[in-house]
Amino acid sequence: MSPEIINLLIKSFGETCYMVAASTIISTLIGLPLGVILTVTRKGHILENAPVNSVLGAIVNATRSTPFIILMVAIIPLTRIIVGSSIGTTAAIVPLTISAAPFIARIIESSLLEIDHGVIEAAQAMGASPLQIVNKVLLPEALHSIVLGITLAIISLIGYSAMAGALGGGGLGDLAIRYGYQRFRVDIMIATVVVLIAQVQIVQSCGNYISKKLNKNKL
Amino acid sequence: MIELHNVEKTYHSKSGDIDALHKTNLSINAGEIFGVIGLSGAGKSTLIRCINMLEVPTGGQVVVDGQDLTAMSEAELRKARQNIGMIFQHFNLLASRTVYDNIAFPLEIQGLSKDEILKKVEPLLELVGLVERRDHYPSQLSGGQKQRVGIARALASSPKVLLCDEATSALDPQTTKSILDLLKDINKRMNLTIVMITHQMQVVKEICDRVAVIENGDIIEEGTMFELFTNPKTPTTKDFIKSINNVELPAILKGVPLSKEYIEGGKLLLRLSFIGSSAGDPLISSLVKKFDVDVNILYGNIDSIKDTPYGTLLVEISGVRSSIKDALTYLHARNLRMEVMGYVS
Repeated sequence: MSPEIINLLIKSFGETCYMVAASTIISTLIGLPLGVILTVTRKGHILENAPVNSVLGAIVNATRSTPFIILMVAIIPLTRIIVGSSIGTTAAIVPLTISAAPFIARIIESSLLEIDHGVIEAAQAMGASPLQIVNKVLLPEALHSIVLGITLAIISLIGYSAMAGALGGGGLGDLAIRYGYQRFRVDIMIATVVVLIAQVQIVQSCGNYISKKLNKNKL
Repeated sequence: MIELHNVEKTYHSKSGDIDALHKTNLSINAGEIFGVIGLSGAGKSTLIRCINMLEVPTGGQVVVDGQDLTAMSEAELRKARQNIGMIFQHFNLLASRTVYDNIAFPLEIQGLSKDEILKKVEPLLELVGLVERRDHYPSQLSGGQKQRVGIARALASSPKVLLCDEATSALDPQTTKSILDLLKDINKRMNLTIVMITHQMQVVKEICDRVAVIENGDIIEEGTMFELFTNPKTPTTKDFIKSINNVELPAILKGVPLSKEYIEGGKLLLRLSFIGSSAGDPLISSLVKKFDVDVNILYGNIDSIKDTPYGTLLVEISGVRSSIKDALTYLHARNLRMEVMGYVS
């Protein structure tokens, strides 16, 4: 492989990392509170509230059922308002975030629901407020499972980011399509796929490792 | 210390309303260990959860330490709950926190500083004998140790009341014993009022001063341990007593008709229960000496209720009608409980 192609690979890898990292952080910041609200407003939970739960649940489901490629095109006006442009790597972060946030919300909800009700009851019996229960019981107890969930989200984002090429977002997926597929460069195609596989493996391994470190349940 | 006035709880569900607790009145004194015993589904869990309002009663009043919990706002209630410790059957410890941090948890909630927390947690670790385990996680502890953490955590905010929800049901008999000893010790040392619900009569017998028997959401019997033990009134209570104090008739007497009337040459079956110092009296030999009767012991057992010795004897007395009558009068005058079962030929 020529140095030119290697440079191309490095640049694309950097773009993918940038898109994925930024959208993971922002979508976690949005998804975390959403997930917490989805959990605590459930029936029988600490702040049961059926209207809030069903409205929020419906929005989350609607976003999740829209295919990413369609969502990306549909929200172009919004992207333009937020980023100032609807094309480019930074512009791709908007649809990536919007599609990942509800996914993360559901992941966090399911992690929080794993916590035994007895532990919440114990905290209530000690006089903990709902906010204290969220901060000191639900989130710390579910952290190891949330980490695994976010790892899953990162991996889906790596996949979605390949489609961001349609918005001129760049990244490894874009490289594979433009050079590997459209210009019949099998070597580039293979190189990209190898880098993508390695990236996913590393992300998953790191996620597993951190989650294991955080999990004090099975020592 | 704890007063329940007409407390009731009804659960509403699609398949209809379920009355978990009918109008219940209960008065628990400061410093006593009060037991609530019942089979599963009897309403005992609901009852204990009404005391700290984890279950909000559908009616009635809950007064703990002079404060009406049923009339409080959420914030006031949270404050009041810091005065009421609770331990659970499945311990409910935070898996992500060490022993030390679990005990510190209620203090963190109250917003105490790290130094203040340290000062409170260390003596508690000592009290429950877990100093060496302070940095372990719950998953590294045995059931008994977990419950000790639970107890230390419940005591951290220096409560006046400790609620025990089937606290020993998940433990083996030996560990149960050590946890009960710890509770007894705490009760004496801190004059802590303890309410415990259980389905284990053994537990109640070991540590409770007074007991209530609950069935189908009603308290069907209530009294001191001795009253309940020696004179159970309801079939449920009798079953519970039987589970630990099996004074069944010996096999040869089973099915033999018992007559209320004197039978010539027959024997009178008596069940005698003693408590405290009277358990040491040479009762049988004085009966034989004083009256012209023969006494045959069919069954005997000495046990203890809390820390008081308690004895049960099943005897048959034979003799002429008048001697038996005199012997009975003599027994009546003694400090013991007697149940005349009847004559057998």
